Amino acid sequence: MISQLTVAILNGIVWGLIMALIALGLNMIFGLLHIINMAHGALYMLGAVVAWYLIEFTGSFWIALIIAPLFVGLIGLIIERGLIRTIEDKPITTIICTFGIMLAVQHLVLIIFGGSPRRISPPITYRFPIFDLQYPSIRIVIALISVAMMIGLWFFLRKTKYGLWMRAVVQDREMAVGLGIPVNKVYMWTFVLGSALAAFSGILAAPIVSVEFMMGREVLIMAFIIVIVGGMGNLEGSVLAAIMISLIQGVGALFVPPSIATVFALAFMIIVLLLRPQGLFGE
Amino acid sequence: MSKTNEVILELKEVNKSFGGLLAVNRVNLSVSKGELRALIGPNGAGKTTLLNLINGTLPVTSGHIFYKGEEITNLSPHRISHIGIARTLQITSLFSGLTVYENIWTAVQSRKKFFNPFVHALKWKDVKEKTESMLELTGLKDKAHLICSELSYGEQRILEMGIALSTDPDLLLLDEPTAGLNSQESLALVRKMREMLTGQSIILVEHDMEVVMELADNISVLHYGSIIAEGPPLEIKENEEVKKVYLGT
Amino acid sequence: MSFSRIKDISFPLIFGLVLLVFAVIPFFASRFYQTFLTELFVWILFAISFDLIFGYTGLLSFGQALFFGLGSYTVTILVREYGFNTELSLLLAIVIPILFAWFVGYFSVRLTGIHFVIITIIFAIIGNIIGETWTSFTGGSDGLTFSPRPFRLGFLQINLVDIKGNYYFVLAIVAICFLFLRRMVQSPLGKIFISIRENEERARLIGYNVQRYKLIAFIIAGGLSGLAGGLYSITLKYACAGYLHWSVSGHAVVYTIVGGMGTLIGPVLGAGIVMSLEHYLVDILMATDLVVGIVLVIMVLMAPKGLLGLLRLRFRRG
Repeated sequence: MISQLTVAILNGIVWGLIMALIALGLNMIFGLLHIINMAHGALYMLGAVVAWYLIEFTGSFWIALIIAPLFVGLIGLIIERGLIRTIEDKPITTIICTFGIMLAVQHLVLIIFGGSPRRISPPITYRFPIFDLQYPSIRIVIALISVAMMIGLWFFLRKTKYGLWMRAVVQDREMAVGLGIPVNKVYMWTFVLGSALAAFSGILAAPIVSVEFMMGREVLIMAFIIVIVGGMGNLEGSVLAAIMISLIQGVGALFVPPSIATVFALAFMIIVLLLRPQGLFGE
Repeated sequence: MSKTNEVILELKEVNKSFGGLLAVNRVNLSVSKGELRALIGPNGAGKTTLLNLINGTLPVTSGHIFYKGEEITNLSPHRISHIGIARTLQITSLFSGLTVYENIWTAVQSRKKFFNPFVHALKWKDVKEKTESMLELTGLKDKAHLICSELSYGEQRILEMGIALSTDPDLLLLDEPTAGLNSQESLALVRKMREMLTGQSIILVEHDMEVVMELADNISVLHYGSIIAEGPPLEIKENEEVKKVYLGT
Repeated sequence: MSFSRIKDISFPLIFGLVLLVFAVIPFFASRFYQTFLTELFVWILFAISFDLIFGYTGLLSFGQALFFGLGSYTVTILVREYGFNTELSLLLAIVIPILFAWFVGYFSVRLTGIHFVIITIIFAIIGNIIGETWTSFTGGSDGLTFSPRPFRLGFLQINLVDIKGNYYFVLAIVAICFLFLRRMVQSPLGKIFISIRENEERARLIGYNVQRYKLIAFIIAGGLSGLAGGLYSITLKYACAGYLHWSVSGHAVVYTIVGGMGTLIGPVLGAGIVMSLEHYLVDILMATDLVVGIVLVIMVLMAPKGLLGLLRLRFRRG
């Protein structure tokens, strides 16, 4: 029992960290550009798919982990410059537009990659013993990489010029313009960063789940829920909410069927939304 | 604007705080029937917040609000509308995608308790007649078919007032009706207002002192959420404290 | 999108004409095409019910699939397991989703904007998960098949296993629902919905209990979505948990946006065009979603008011 619980908790934390990265990207895009990016899940999936191809080509998971997000970031750039910038700011419009992008990207991948899920074999197969079970260390590595990425993000936002610009634009767009900050560039790079983050998470997730064209769909909704529950614009809230939800699901699955655990997690979200619409940690 | 001694609106020790910030501080206010009370004060003094408390958009932190003797504290805005209090907002709030006619119609229709959801709305004679007379009142009859975004800003302000009046209020809460208008347009609006108003009690939040001096029976001065002075316009004009507060603005 | 764009004289004419065309088609069309059109009618019903809450009231709900799926399961299970007749099971396919819509709506309409969207999706996800896991009851993603009983009303009896019979049955019901909704959006109630869409706060300030009316719209849409689901099951003789997935709601969103929201006719057009596109492209590209996605993006960029909006602009200029 204890070993199962430990594994469930570890898995919950690992998956929670991956979801946190996805949610962070989504939250940044929302917090800054006020865009509800329905295509975010598709970008996550794209990261995994591109990584799959890169691994086929180069045989290295790590190369894929670095290159694929750059590629998806480029796609994000095209999306932002080509489409997002031209449409009006109304939330409904951006939802529909990004929803359309999601459909198109998913189906493109279906045509090219095919409908069957494929596996990415983990680059590290060492398992270390926990109590009487063997726990795949790749998951620990994934967790550590996620945390490293979050720390990197934190540094970027707090300590670099671009991060400062981003925070300024979130606070007060008008003033940022007045201060000479190139707001349009900030928008663009934020979207690129968010897209790359989504892709990065997709690659991290790939050894755990399988790679298929639909993998973004469920993740997208969960990411939104996490962002809303954690508090829109509140990045720390997203991380905490992601881990929390993931733990509830993971540990709950030990005692009730996994889907029921998910239902409980979701019902919990509903209650949070109704009691605190601004999110657990939002203002 | 004549007034009687009958009190139509009374605020007793009304407080409103947002987290640690006290936006409205122990406000006591009493407005008589038929009176036009101007509410002035520097930006951020809490004037709009006070209106929001009266019309139910925000809940009070403590205190009581009475209308025609009945307690209305924390009633929801739609119920407040039905007891006879109407509100215009600082930033014009209309049904922007609809025509002038439809805007007034929607407000007139709100007074009807019952309706038939299967009859074509525009066949409702009562509402139709009242809408047309309200359109006359606002002077926007020949623009009735225009979408409100096609109106000038001043006309939109008048329309909003028309919408408020279409709900047959006894008390009007007007939030900076002349905001954004130049002095010519402000004068025109004030003139129009005089035509449209028929003895309702009014609380008027305003920055334009000319307008205030011309219209107000009494003035209440709000500063950091408290009322620092209250009285007829000439008195307030001479009040030292008020001058201090405003000279800084 | 103002109150009444359609002149009262020409509408009955056009409506009658369209009905006539649809009534005559089965004499020329293949059975496959008749089934395709029957499905189209069902999606039209689903789309116009969505237009009621989204186009007219301004509520973007991705959770309508919950009610669609409920309606389809209600009919399927009642007929298959309990031997209910068609009339009663269709009635319940409206009533049961209405009850659920009341419950979901009661909580959801307290929220606005993205929060409303999310909470409706969450309810739909919960419904979908329950549908997928309670396989003993719902058949999960494999679903349940059944054979619909004939529809009986007084002297009228329609054999619903027969494709033609089912075609006319669905057409009649959808036509009635369309007229029902049309009347409603032109009525004082419709004006209240529209005012909520245009400016919720203004509507509240002039005395409308906005939450109550949002709930009313939500409930009506839920009931009609349920009816659509019930008709869908009767047509395909099948229900599956996939009908409860939030992406099913996506169909209604797409048809309504493409056709033009807040017009009732828009969703009809949108459903017709997008479904036809999907149908013809399935053979060529196997990429129906791709086309739909691209169409959506183009629409949003160039024709935010949908096809109907484009047409209107043409008429206004010319």
